[in-house]
Amino acid sequence: MNVVVCVKQIPDPADPGALDPTTKTLKRDGKLILDESDSYGVEMALQLVTAAGGGEVTLVSMAPNGEVSGLRTALAMGAAKAILVSDDALAGSDALGTAKVLAKAIERVEGADLILTATESSDGYTGTVPEQVAGLLDLPSVTFAKHIEVDGSTVKVQRQTEAGYDDVECPLPAVVSVTAGVVEPRYPSFKGIMAAKSKPVDTLTVADLGLDASQVGWAGAGQEIVSIEEAPAREAGEVIEDDGTAFEKIVAYLDNLKVL
Amino acid sequence: MEFAESPEHELLRASVREVAAGFGHEYYVEKVRHGGTLDELWDALGDLGFFGVHLPEEHGGGGAGITELAIVCEEVAAQGCPLLLILVSAAICGELIGRFGTEEQKAQWLPGLARSEKMAFAITEPDAGSNSHRLSTTATRDGDVYRLRGTKTYISGVDEADRMLVVTRTGVDEATGHGLLSLFVVDTDAPGLTRTPIPTGIQSPETQFTLFFDDVEVPASHRLGDEDDGLRVVFYGLNPERITGAALSAGIGRYALDKASAYARERRVWDVPIGAHQGVAHPLAEAKIDLELSRLMIAKAAWAHDTDADRAVAGEAANMAKFAAADAGLACLDTAIQAHGGNGMASEYGLVDLWGLARLLRIAPVSREMILNYVAQRSLALPRSY
Repeated sequence: MNVVVCVKQIPDPADPGALDPTTKTLKRDGKLILDESDSYGVEMALQLVTAAGGGEVTLVSMAPNGEVSGLRTALAMGAAKAILVSDDALAGSDALGTAKVLAKAIERVEGADLILTATESSDGYTGTVPEQVAGLLDLPSVTFAKHIEVDGSTVKVQRQTEAGYDDVECPLPAVVSVTAGVVEPRYPSFKGIMAAKSKPVDTLTVADLGLDASQVGWAGAGQEIVSIEEAPAREAGEVIEDDGTAFEKIVAYLDNLKVL
Repeated sequence: MEFAESPEHELLRASVREVAAGFGHEYYVEKVRHGGTLDELWDALGDLGFFGVHLPEEHGGGGAGITELAIVCEEVAAQGCPLLLILVSAAICGELIGRFGTEEQKAQWLPGLARSEKMAFAITEPDAGSNSHRLSTTATRDGDVYRLRGTKTYISGVDEADRMLVVTRTGVDEATGHGLLSLFVVDTDAPGLTRTPIPTGIQSPETQFTLFFDDVEVPASHRLGDEDDGLRVVFYGLNPERITGAALSAGIGRYALDKASAYARERRVWDVPIGAHQGVAHPLAEAKIDLELSRLMIAKAAWAHDTDADRAVAGEAANMAKFAAADAGLACLDTAIQAHGGNGMASEYGLVDLWGLARLLRIAPVSREMILNYVAQRSLALPRSY
């Protein structure tokens, strides 16, 4: 079984991010790393391929400046190869523009049975790309998978909901977005790290994908960032003095938040 | 000249860091307090092949070198979990068996060492100390076996290892009076071998032992290297031990400076964070400079050992790296404690419990004074006093 995993390479969340005041977008010109939320999809894909007894995991990513650092992490985990789309014309792409690129790149992977994504990236958070990719590829889409099994040509998913989960079955090929609860990602082993060195990364441009530059980047964006503002400083918390009845006030506070 | 780390080295650092961070200093301290071992952390790292990065691939290793092992050693320590046994098990025993073992010996012992098995190393004796020529533990040939007699002291982790590499005397060089040495791989539960723990003030999960060999029988097939050629074998293992020892110090230094700088950015006593005061900032900056200089020498020493081009260069660099990193690591920790004020002495801040180990690393695996002797004699061609 062949699984494609869409992975995003993002600025290290450990370093404070910065917005470009001119473009109003996140600065992404430094070193990028594998979005942790994508490591779950990579791990799930590796486990599904192992369970199927054959096949391989292919990564698909779109990133500026030919960035491969995050891809290397996923290749070291065990993915077989990667397609990277990197092109100056992609700067300013919105979610749909990104989905067009990813969909075209996925089409180049022969015999893809399943496409996995995270539910959303940890830097952009639109959470719309997986469904857009599925729409563009005309494939069924299942979101928020907390458990995945493949049975022949069917994927069985436990789909996380607020109340619990839905059991969903869907024919393959399909696009499935996975939550952080789906599997525990492995750490790259030393052998995996050394093997990643010689795994192929196919770097493509917008033209290579058969897309016109006017469909992507700033030119193709259907959305406009009108303004950006500093997040408000966190307000001071409420201090409850314990005079013997503090627990009642805490219960009332939590009840008000509807978390009880 | 190239100083940027390769993508593989960056990934190795990141992976080791993430595994070790999952345990963290609190786990380490908990084990120290309750007399436990660090088996869970050791196994988690071993399963990913991190203790065998330098061992031959055909025996389960990673096929890289001491450069990579030093990265592993430093990154684990930088998460507040310094693993002393990497120095003896992986750096000395692994390297020596890989270099001097017969094919049978490599096949027998390296696959375990490439994963999670530990091997102790026994050289120090009560009356020999830094003078390996004066070792008095003897190995006497008796048919297909050797019989070992003598005492070893300050041997780390014997209780955690199934086997240990023991340095013995098998003869005497008539011309110099120096002992002729041979090395043996000995089971830690061999009949005739007893051990006594040495209580120390070091807060480290590894225990030190005095060992008594009373006619301990070892198969001749467990001799590593040729009979009487042990000094050459031992000396080959000292550089990896010094380099990884230096990396251990550097990791402790990084851990301490990370803690101190985070604290000095947040802690306010007057209107500004204490890190804004130069009395706090400058000592931390100075410690950082010493730390980074020592890390450069560690990289050079590991490179010299791995390329095996010039043993003199490797020996000089390994000694200098060990000296500089041990001093820098302790200085980083001391400065970090000072920056914390009274909190530096509180267990909660996770600094003072590393003091004993950081201080030990100025004495072992080779003392500052013996390194100064080495540099004076080898690098400066000064006469020796001993």
